[in-house]
Amino acid sequence: MKKTKNADSEKFCGNCTSHNAYEYPTRVFCTRRFLKNKNPIVQTLWHCEDWIKNAQECYCVRDAKEKQKQPA
Amino acid sequence: MRVNGPLTVDELVQQFGNSGSFGAGRLSTACDIYERMLRDDECTVFLGLAGALVPAGMRSLVADSLRENRIDVLVTTGANMVHDTIEALGGHHYKGHWAVDDLLLYKYHTYRIYDVFLPEEDFIRLDMKLTEMYDEIADENRGKRLSSREFAWELGKRLKDPQSVLRAAYEAQAPVFMPAVRDSEFGYIYNLHASRRNFKNTLLVDAFKDVNEIIRICRESERNGMIILGGGVPRNTIQSAALATKSGIDYAVVVTMDRAETGGLSGSTLEETVSWGKLKGAADKVMVPADAMIAFPLMVASVVERLGKNHKRAPRKKTESFRETINT
Repeated sequence: MKKTKNADSEKFCGNCTSHNAYEYPTRVFCTRRFLKNKNPIVQTLWHCEDWIKNAQECYCVRDAKEKQKQPA
Repeated sequence: MRVNGPLTVDELVQQFGNSGSFGAGRLSTACDIYERMLRDDECTVFLGLAGALVPAGMRSLVADSLRENRIDVLVTTGANMVHDTIEALGGHHYKGHWAVDDLLLYKYHTYRIYDVFLPEEDFIRLDMKLTEMYDEIADENRGKRLSSREFAWELGKRLKDPQSVLRAAYEAQAPVFMPAVRDSEFGYIYNLHASRRNFKNTLLVDAFKDVNEIIRICRESERNGMIILGGGVPRNTIQSAALATKSGIDYAVVVTMDRAETGGLSGSTLEETVSWGKLKGAADKVMVPADAMIAFPLMVASVVERLGKNHKRAPRKKTESFRETINT
């Protein structure tokens, strides 16, 4: 099934179809950036213009937000 | 069968032999056959590895067996070598459980192989590191097609972990064939490597190049023995090489939980293998219906005990024509 852009979701790398876990939950690996020879390691709560909603969400965004709330 | 006190592994296996029945008898026979393979200086011992044995912890056993010449040639799924490489690069396999909520594991980016857990992070680190290695191998070989054996040695050369199967094979110059190499993370990493290079000057692994190499090894050996853990493509690769030489395999141990009735190769009986000419009619052979994670370590421990600490098996003879092959 073709994945489509979904304007309703909060846009984060951590719920984008191109992400994989890298340093859970704060940083993810972006396949799209890797294929473009860009630094593939990005913040879970970042996003770029190529964001596409992941069909089946994981806990990356939820846990990254929780982590963000915690004092450093 | 008597167990009246502390027993060594081989003493227990001897008790299995005293029974001679069911799985105990078959495992005891498997140890006898493996011992005969290792005492036969003219025999090349092939190990066929299928199923997730490396993630379950068989990695060091296979690496040590290659270093100590208890295995001459390894034929394996790509996946087992992927998991070997993950550990060589600092990743880990964790003891988990089979009765878990797998959707929850998915949400935490954790993969499951029965009761073994593997974090996705370790796969991603593998992808990144191996993409670099593929670039380096492609640049060094500049358009030369590599067999999966050459590819395995190129990887082994670059891995420093002494427990690694690929590293051990490289150091021992023991051939490792991965006939279905693309059907593993190695294949997906090729896609990453090639895409980043716009499919130009990429690593070239040629599955057909394996065929001549493995047939040549079989042909130049006086006798061939195979130990199959699981079955699948590795078993067929070894057997087909023996068929191509028209000589057939001399010793065979197959450890599998699969059944013959479905017609699949993994469960096919060794008598069926004889019908193809892949195994000699008079071959020393047994099928052991058992979990390879239990049976193979017992086999190795038993046979090492029988051979004694001072037994040193010489490396498989590298004939001139095989040297020519590996230098082509």
